[in-house]
Amino acid sequence: MPVMNSAYNGRQPNEFKVLTELEGIPNSRSLEVYKKHGGYAALEKILKGKMSQEEVINIVKASGLRGRGGAGFPTGMKWGFVPKGEGEKYLITNFDEGEPGTYKDRYIAELNAHMLIEGKLIAAYAIGASKSYIYLRGEFYDEIAWCEQAIKEAYAAGYLGDNVMGTGFKHHMDVYIGAGAYICGEETGLISSLEGKKGQPKLKPPFPAVKGYLGKPTIVNNVETLAVVPWIIRNGAEAYKKFGTEKSAGTKLFNISGPVVRPGCYELPLGYPLKRFIYEDCGGLIGGKKLKAVIPGGASAPVLTAAEVETMTMDYEAFAAAGSMLGSGAVIVIPEDVSMVEVLENLMHFFKDESCGQCTPCREGTGWLLKMSRGILQGEGQPGDEKKIAEVAGKMMGRTICTFSDAAAGPARSIPQKFAHEFLEYYKKKSSAHGQG
Amino acid sequence: MASFFSTQLNEQIKGFLGRYETKRSSILPILHAIQDENDWISPEAVQALEAEHGLSVIDVNEVLSFYTMYRKAPPKPYRLEVCGSISCWLNGADKTISEAKQYIAQAEKSGKPIPFECHKVECLGVCGYAPVALVNKDRHLNVTPELARKLMDEYSKKELPAAAKKCAADLAARAAHK
Repeated sequence: MPVMNSAYNGRQPNEFKVLTELEGIPNSRSLEVYKKHGGYAALEKILKGKMSQEEVINIVKASGLRGRGGAGFPTGMKWGFVPKGEGEKYLITNFDEGEPGTYKDRYIAELNAHMLIEGKLIAAYAIGASKSYIYLRGEFYDEIAWCEQAIKEAYAAGYLGDNVMGTGFKHHMDVYIGAGAYICGEETGLISSLEGKKGQPKLKPPFPAVKGYLGKPTIVNNVETLAVVPWIIRNGAEAYKKFGTEKSAGTKLFNISGPVVRPGCYELPLGYPLKRFIYEDCGGLIGGKKLKAVIPGGASAPVLTAAEVETMTMDYEAFAAAGSMLGSGAVIVIPEDVSMVEVLENLMHFFKDESCGQCTPCREGTGWLLKMSRGILQGEGQPGDEKKIAEVAGKMMGRTICTFSDAAAGPARSIPQKFAHEFLEYYKKKSSAHGQG
Repeated sequence: MASFFSTQLNEQIKGFLGRYETKRSSILPILHAIQDENDWISPEAVQALEAEHGLSVIDVNEVLSFYTMYRKAPPKPYRLEVCGSISCWLNGADKTISEAKQYIAQAEKSGKPIPFECHKVECLGVCGYAPVALVNKDRHLNVTPELARKLMDEYSKKELPAAAKKCAADLAARAAHK
């Protein structure tokens, strides 16, 4: 059980700045400002201090850092899966931020993309990669420009190239721009896209760490995961573990959306109380409306009721225990006057649109879910439809190449289950409209 | 034989062809570059990529048909793309989209058309400032129906983007050729 419920009482969110240290500082995106705040010191410590790859991986393992893209896999362990020895290896940053509700990775680039570049250099050193990419979604025009600019500066300053900081370490970095496909945020779909193909996921195993980009060992890490690595190296694993809970260590960027008074991207320690976040940090709902539900980790995360929010803490374990997930830390707030059947229809539209079409349960299932939820909205529903939706969703789980299908099934199971009474109202409307009982 | 692409675009294409580990990886960036110059990707451009740069039509079409950002038909000079995913929808995106479409249709009807088309798109990744919209490559936040109208008015007064002009000229030349 998470025990941090009361631990943060009386403390302000600005006491938890790891990734957001440069927030509010003029010209924060410049290399100069980054260096003034300890930038590239971690890389120097590793390269000039001749730390071994193993040592770097061990620090990250000890920090308890878990993937911040959604899956929450331990980062150091992932790096450790890359085969040792010679041979080409790749590191790819997943900057295909597209999970509805999520806008944290772009915030890192807005603050300073050098955090990401230094983190990438450290990860590349740890796994022995001499080439890396930042895969950005195509609609992120500003973010692409910020990353390109930072890469250019890093080359000019000697942090990238054939002889990084004169230490003999070689690393080259480039950006790669997607073209509008949510599925490219799935790591093997991203690799397919980087190879110049449809962004369709590949069956695992083999995992990318063994056989990834062009068949070579490849690590795909989220922006936030990599950007926090320099801080961990500079300050040590223990310092990072002072934030968060025992199993969910560190801070996390939480992005809140929906009708709240102060939306935005907040850095908070994992284990922070969700209710406090919504009402105190974000000022509650606009117009003082009552809360109906929260989608806690992006569109793929099963929904929580207002009652569940009361005692919820924001960490991997607490969300999982409630049958949902921390995901990307995208907290989507749904007020009392919004119909959950409409929410379901909107989410299913997204998943139907973004299914890559490779596996039948997903391609067909997302279409069925959209049709059924739309039918109910249009007065064509009948009692039991909400159960049928949950049943179809249940059959889409664990039967496909990637977890997209499971992600679509999450809300399609949780909404009919937790808000069945709202479906009944639609069925009633239909019968009264037709003048029959 | 003259190239289908402009000199500048050909240089860009060559740059991308040598930039990645495999030639095939250059397809996505090349298509972006073609679209940036011409506003869309015509079947002739795909043919020319094979004839002039050795990228097979089937590989290029695989990419072209899968990714939604590539335009396979000539568009209007400005695209107002409003996000309709959950966070933007919760903050009124549907109203922005329907009123923007109405505004465009009314202008058309009154005989004073504006150079705009409006689409609902999926999550644009800036969900805290919903509804979010793009006008071509410019991002706009908190796009209420009023702001959408204002944006359309403002852009309509500007000089058309170079890609839109080239697109129109190419289409006129093609019509004359027929």
